[in-house]
Amino acid sequence: MEKVLAENGFIIDLSDAKNTTQLVFELSSIMEHPEVKGKNVRLKLGNLDLKQSQLLSIKALIESMDATLAFIDTKSEQTEASAVSLGIIVSEVTDEPAIVCSSDADIKEESVMVKTEPHSESEPEEGKTVEVHAEELTGPIETAHDVEDVYDEETTKELSEIIPSEHFEADFESLAANEGLIKPEETSKYILLDTGDVLPVDAEENSINTETLPTLYINQTLRSGQTVSYDGNILIIGDAHPGSEIVAGGDITVWGILGGIAHAGSQGNVTSKVRALKLNAIQLRIAGLYARRNDTLNVPYVQKTNEFTPEEAQIEDGKIVIYKKLRRD
Amino acid sequence: MAGRVIVITSGKGGVGKTTTSANIGTALAKAGYKVVLIDTDLGLRNLDLLLGLENRIVYTIVDVIEERCKLRQALVKDKKNPNLSLLAAAQTRDKSAVNAEQLKEICDTLKEENDFVLIDCPAGIEQGFQNAVAGATEAIVVTTPEMSAIRDADRIIGLLEAKEEIKSYKLLLNRVRPSLIKSNDMMSVDDVVEILSCPLIGIIPEDTGIITSTNKGEPIVNDEDALAGKAYRNVAQRILGEEVPFLDLDEPKGFMAKIKNAFAKLKAKV
Repeated sequence: MEKVLAENGFIIDLSDAKNTTQLVFELSSIMEHPEVKGKNVRLKLGNLDLKQSQLLSIKALIESMDATLAFIDTKSEQTEASAVSLGIIVSEVTDEPAIVCSSDADIKEESVMVKTEPHSESEPEEGKTVEVHAEELTGPIETAHDVEDVYDEETTKELSEIIPSEHFEADFESLAANEGLIKPEETSKYILLDTGDVLPVDAEENSINTETLPTLYINQTLRSGQTVSYDGNILIIGDAHPGSEIVAGGDITVWGILGGIAHAGSQGNVTSKVRALKLNAIQLRIAGLYARRNDTLNVPYVQKTNEFTPEEAQIEDGKIVIYKKLRRD
Repeated sequence: MAGRVIVITSGKGGVGKTTTSANIGTALAKAGYKVVLIDTDLGLRNLDLLLGLENRIVYTIVDVIEERCKLRQALVKDKKNPNLSLLAAAQTRDKSAVNAEQLKEICDTLKEENDFVLIDCPAGIEQGFQNAVAGATEAIVVTTPEMSAIRDADRIIGLLEAKEEIKSYKLLLNRVRPSLIKSNDMMSVDDVVEILSCPLIGIIPEDTGIITSTNKGEPIVNDEDALAGKAYRNVAQRILGEEVPFLDLDEPKGFMAKIKNAFAKLKAKV
């Protein structure tokens, strides 16, 4: 993820993104930054194949942040075709020595002064700086050379600190899910159990992307003694009461209070996650890791309230870590 | 070492089998004996809740029987007392998942390494009861001073008498309310013993502390002040063969009552 500042415009380098989900997530996190407002955005999309609808969503996302999509840079033929049919300009952003583009000399000077400082050693003479007019930004090819390669380290660092993007895999369609940030739970809500020598899983072989698995959709409350098992993902609209058990080969999502036992990635998929509006599971199991709820939190029934803080559990460094969705107010 | 296997049963539901199992088990473990509690109420397990161990259960008795784990792995150690462990029932299965021989085998294995194996029996006289009783050589019949509970207890005693393996059975009278007995609204302890003609092993007074202890997952025997806790500790001592007098439940409680009582005794002396 790279964001390059230029006067009146941005180059956003998303060529590292491995899938559309990651791309959208990173893009949306950059676009949330107030600096981006009202600017031209140039996207570097790398090798990723994007469909017309996906590209349209990206464009809509940028426009929803009061910015405009100037052009995209892609190595994928499919993406290029999609862009052409949508009337989005396809161009090339080179990594050549940075040059400020500006329609106003004063602003240019300021940006050179402030922004290029870290690069002063490798910086070519100021005389090489070329001035172009803002209108030309939207034009292909030429503009590519007219861009100041200013890497705003501070801003980028800050962003990467708040958003551990590898911990987040949202659905491409559900952009709404990307709103709000996620951070690890401070308290040790769950404690790992020593399950002895029986760990019947082969983690390497079974760790596939849970997005690709089928999902079982259950629209009822799970009561004590009831078990749901499925090889794919399980989605429960309702509560899972204490004493119930959910065993999924992939992810478990409970749209309600999860109070029973949840076992995600039961065949050893360590990328599986358990998420619920209220995560109060008596035991959380992900692949071969079993964790029990802390004794201090042993309240058999959760008081139902109108406000929930959705939580998500996953494996991280051999531990089960819980992430909380923050309210954005 | 061959430990004693005691089944705690009642016939009727809700008279306090599980509470009794948890408390006697905890009291015996506190006295320094190695105790295993077995919950045989498959599908309606509660013993783990009373002990506050629900979050630690990974394997259940059904996993042991169906050989998904070793017996040692399924034993959940108590939070406070390492002498006490629990073999939990499966919540998602029913009584048909185990049979009497399998349970007897488990009891026989466990009694080799433990002083006491206490079996918490499900309500009823069907297969669950037959399973629970299979491995036991002693029984404690829990009842309350109500006609229905006594009738069921009588039925259970009859069934126990018919079983050769059960060498002795004792009666535990639960939820006794001295004030009601005094006003002739409840059967007295003597009445119940007379009706059932069965030796008594304990009288447990009704105690609201039981509700709190159940909700907290903390057996009441751990509470030194609770009267019910004291009564259960006495039961444990009687199981160990000590002669402990039954609690005098008529004694008034509370500070003012105690002073009144002391004055009355003083007056009697004068």
